[in-house]
Amino acid sequence: FSLTEVLAVVRKWSKGLESQQNLNVVKECFSDSMKTKLLSFKANRVKIRYANTYRLEPHNKFRDYLVRDKAQAILTNKLQQAKYDGVSSRSLCASISEEILKAVKELDFDRYKYVVSVLIVEKAGQAINVASRWVWDAQRDTWVSAKCETETFIALALVMACYYE
Amino acid sequence: MDDFQSGDETSFVVDEVSSIIKEAIESAIGGNAYQHSKVNQWTTSVVEQTLSQLTKLGKPFKYIVTCVIMQKNGAGLHTASSCFWDNSSDGTCTVRWENKTMYCIVSAFGLAI
Repeated sequence: FSLTEVLAVVRKWSKGLESQQNLNVVKECFSDSMKTKLLSFKANRVKIRYANTYRLEPHNKFRDYLVRDKAQAILTNKLQQAKYDGVSSRSLCASISEEILKAVKELDFDRYKYVVSVLIVEKAGQAINVASRWVWDAQRDTWVSAKCETETFIALALVMACYYE
Repeated sequence: MDDFQSGDETSFVVDEVSSIIKEAIESAIGGNAYQHSKVNQWTTSVVEQTLSQLTKLGKPFKYIVTCVIMQKNGAGLHTASSCFWDNSSDGTCTVRWENKTMYCIVSAFGLAI
C-alpha cells in the first residue's frame, strides 16, 4: 500500500471540507526523509526471521564445571584481601559481575544467553535467605553458583545459562 | 496488508512485571515480622507465586526469579547482575521492599524464546 493509496482510502471515508484540509497538511508533512524514517522504524519493529539450520543442540554445549571453577577463581582472587566497605563494595560487586560475564563469554559456548547475579552481604549476625525459581528448558538450561566467605562478608555468585536459537 | 500493524507484544513489559512482583510479596509476607523459622517458606512462596503469575501472562518467555530476604540488622547488602542477551526482547525488573524487621529484594529476568 503506497502512501497515496492510503490517503485515497482515507479521503473516501472522510466527509467535509475540514477533513480535506487536514489531509492536505498530512500529505505535505510526509517528505522523503520522513518516509525513509518510517520505513526504518517499521523494519526495526518487524521481527527478524532467520533461515532454518535444522540444528536442535548447540555445537559447544555448556559445561558447568568449567564455569564453576572460573567463577570461584574470580571471586577468591578479588575478595581475598578485601574488607567489607560500604562505598567500595558497590563498585566491587558490579565489577565482579562483569568479569564473570566476560569470562563465561570467552569460554564460547554457542547459542546461550547468560544472566550473572552477584550478592555481597556484610556479616553482622543477621540471617539471610536467597531463593530462586525458573521456568525454562530443563534439558538445555542450567545454573552454577560459587561462594566466597571472609571474616567480614560473604559473596555469592549465580550464573544462569539459557539456550536460545 | 496493513503496513502500520503493530506486532504481537513479545517484549518484556517492566511495569506489568513489577506490579505482579509487588502483589506476590504483599500477599506472602505483607504484615509479618521476621521469623527465622518461616523465612524459608516465605522466600519459596514469593518466588513461586511470582513465577506462576508471570507464566499466566502467556508470553513466549523463559523466566528466572530470585528473592533475597534479609533481617534488618544494620548490615549492608550489595547485589549486582550483568546479562548477555538480546536487548530488544529481553528485560529485567527488580523490586525492593521492606518493613520494620526485614528487607526483601526480588529480581525477575525474562528471556525471549
